[in-house]
Amino acid sequence: MTTSAEAIALVVIVTGLLQVAFYIVQLVFAAFALSNRPPVPRGATLWRRYSDQAPPISLLAPAFNEELTVVESVRSLLALQYPDFEVLLINDGSKDGTLVRVIKEFGLERVERYVDDKVGHARIRGFYASPALPRLLVIDKENGGKADALNAGINACRTSLFCAMDADSILEPDALLRVVRPFIDEPNLTVAAGGTIRIANGCTIDSGRVTEVRLPRNFLALVQIMEYLRAFLMARLALGKMQVLTVISGAFGLFKRQRVVEVGGYSHGTVGEDMELVLKLHRHMRDLKQPYRIDFIAEPVCWTECPEDARVLGRQRSRWQRGALECFAKHKAMCFNPRYGRIGFIGFGQILLVDVIGPLVEILGYILVPLLYGLGLLALPWLLAFLSVTFTFGVFVSVATLILEEVQLRRFPRAREIAILALIAVIENFGYRQLSNLWRLQGWWQFLRKQQSWGTMTRKGFGGATAA
Amino acid sequence: MTTLVSLWDFSLLLCSVALIGVAGLLLARVITEGSARRREEMRRKLLPAMIRGETPDVGNSKLARSVAATLTLELAELVRGTDREALVTAATATGAAEELARRLRSRTAQDRLVAAEALAMFPDYAPAVTKVALADPSPDVRLGAALALAQEGRAPPAGELVRKLGIGTSENSLLMVSLMRDLVKTDPQAVEALLYDLDLPDAAKLAATDALAESGAVDHAPLVAWMAEAAGEDSDLQPRIFRALGRLGHPAGHDAILTGLDSASWQVRASASEAAGRSALKAAVPRLAELLDDDEWWVRFRAGEALARLGSAGRLALHRAAIDPAPTARAAAKATLAERGLA
Repeated sequence: MTTSAEAIALVVIVTGLLQVAFYIVQLVFAAFALSNRPPVPRGATLWRRYSDQAPPISLLAPAFNEELTVVESVRSLLALQYPDFEVLLINDGSKDGTLVRVIKEFGLERVERYVDDKVGHARIRGFYASPALPRLLVIDKENGGKADALNAGINACRTSLFCAMDADSILEPDALLRVVRPFIDEPNLTVAAGGTIRIANGCTIDSGRVTEVRLPRNFLALVQIMEYLRAFLMARLALGKMQVLTVISGAFGLFKRQRVVEVGGYSHGTVGEDMELVLKLHRHMRDLKQPYRIDFIAEPVCWTECPEDARVLGRQRSRWQRGALECFAKHKAMCFNPRYGRIGFIGFGQILLVDVIGPLVEILGYILVPLLYGLGLLALPWLLAFLSVTFTFGVFVSVATLILEEVQLRRFPRAREIAILALIAVIENFGYRQLSNLWRLQGWWQFLRKQQSWGTMTRKGFGGATAA
Repeated sequence: MTTLVSLWDFSLLLCSVALIGVAGLLLARVITEGSARRREEMRRKLLPAMIRGETPDVGNSKLARSVAATLTLELAELVRGTDREALVTAATATGAAEELARRLRSRTAQDRLVAAEALAMFPDYAPAVTKVALADPSPDVRLGAALALAQEGRAPPAGELVRKLGIGTSENSLLMVSLMRDLVKTDPQAVEALLYDLDLPDAAKLAATDALAESGAVDHAPLVAWMAEAAGEDSDLQPRIFRALGRLGHPAGHDAILTGLDSASWQVRASASEAAGRSALKAAVPRLAELLDDDEWWVRFRAGEALARLGSAGRLALHRAAIDPAPTARAAAKATLAERGLA
């Protein structure tokens, strides 16, 4: 009986340790990547230097029922600092007045457009544009979901690069100029690049721009700031450095159109379409045996609003978990397959460890290890080892990420904010982490039941997020 | 059991070290917030004087030099002509140039890059930028320094620069076209000579071609001859060559463009179609009309676009294709005409 109990504890501890070890490796790579990141010209020099050679970009912004925010979002996109870009707002069959508001506000008229038909999507009902705003094209289509809307945008865009984003996100004015850099530096190799997403809750927002970075008061939003720091500053930066990046956030990613068309665009029938696209690109390029790069740039920033309500956050996290599992299941042939090199071993190893097995084993540990210890079947050292992999190492990883942020980027203007985040980095491990694992377990259940819906993501809108 | 306890102890140790680290950083923040105030005061004193090109009376302290150097970086890109000269004089007087020269050897590549970019504007320091920054271990710093020197007309000869930067071999940035463009302004013949250097990679020559094509500084005939020859070779650079031929529009490039329309590569067919439209190549109309039925959308789109540019002959071809029995060509022609209000 004791041996079985110890075997269970051993599985839980070893799985936890493997995750912690992988996080520490990521921290080291992220620190190396940040300290050796390519130098970037400043302000006006950045513009002068890159504007000449910056390739044209189509910004694809799918919108569904965004009547209240769409006009402000489009204005913000049109004001981006980039020499040659077109905003393609894709109205994905909104049931509210999204389309009417945009048409009225910008004085658009129905136009014709010759578009490609390489990637599949629901029927396009019409195009709207105005000679006064040559950078704006509105695509009105039947509802088909975000992936479907992006596919319509890909077919309609006429540039070699497209930037996929959420219509309700805010891009830093020079974000495009910075994220395009890998495509300028290595034009023949780079197929995709992602940038950092930050949480705008609590920040002061004026005319579609984040004018003052501040922390939110809501606990869940604060915890998500730490989560985003770990996800972007640690994980994606490190995975990008290793060239095994498996996801570029759907909120902000730049892609070579031709390569995306070759893999059939975004896949329908998955809620993890952003991750799936990156995996398809890896697979395609490896199958072609062509050298390529998928990069992550720490500097470009896209601001997004995160949920402040536990129910909404829970739905989002279950969906993310389901998306990761769907991607893993769809491309499981790549896992540990020598044909796919480091992406098969490291990239898929990480998905297997962190997304597939991780939540199951951790939840099992929370239930069984204390129970077995209480029943006298496990000695105290087993319990301590379990606590180390679930709590203390967790605190270390979070705090170390915060140190990395402060040493390398210093994006939080006041010392007080660092102190608050340090506190959050400790307390998130006691309660929130467990809750998050429960949501992920829910995602597992939905995956097994082949549930496909996105659920409702209620947003306050950036107007509501504006701090006093 | 010892291992398990050690694991707990080790995790506690790491956790404590991280928490002490963040506490140290917080303390450092509080201290630097004080020095930031002093920097801000110094900045308020220096800024108006430097904008006017005057030498401010702030002594030659380390803080003054550092703030003056930072201000120079911020202001230099914003001013031109005599204002720039006045700023350079004021910055030299405050010790900013000296400080920037010191930053050329900083441990941080970012500092070295911005120092090299700013220092290239100081005539007395251009040799230092050439010597130090063009030999920098970071390729980004080397390229940034070369671009800054070329913009100021103080770069070394084109051939030397190409080899130093590894253009076309280790350096593949599209920024090499900008570099060539600036080099053309001061020494177009040296850039033209690159085209006839057998040892140089095609990518370097193409960058030179792009730059020369935009300038009226050299005779275009030999340039187009080189491009036409290069366009016939099987290379990934072909689409760019055709686009350059289109921009140039020189009649000597027409045969190459017509040949490109029959290429097996759709990328070449598309760029040759674009070139045909841009260079008003009316002889291409029949072939462009055929390309409206191409398998690849980009080729159909570029062919339609070119036909719409090619005057009445092109538009007539589009109208004919709009009633063509082939559905692909018909759809392409109809949509092209409708988009331009020509239907």
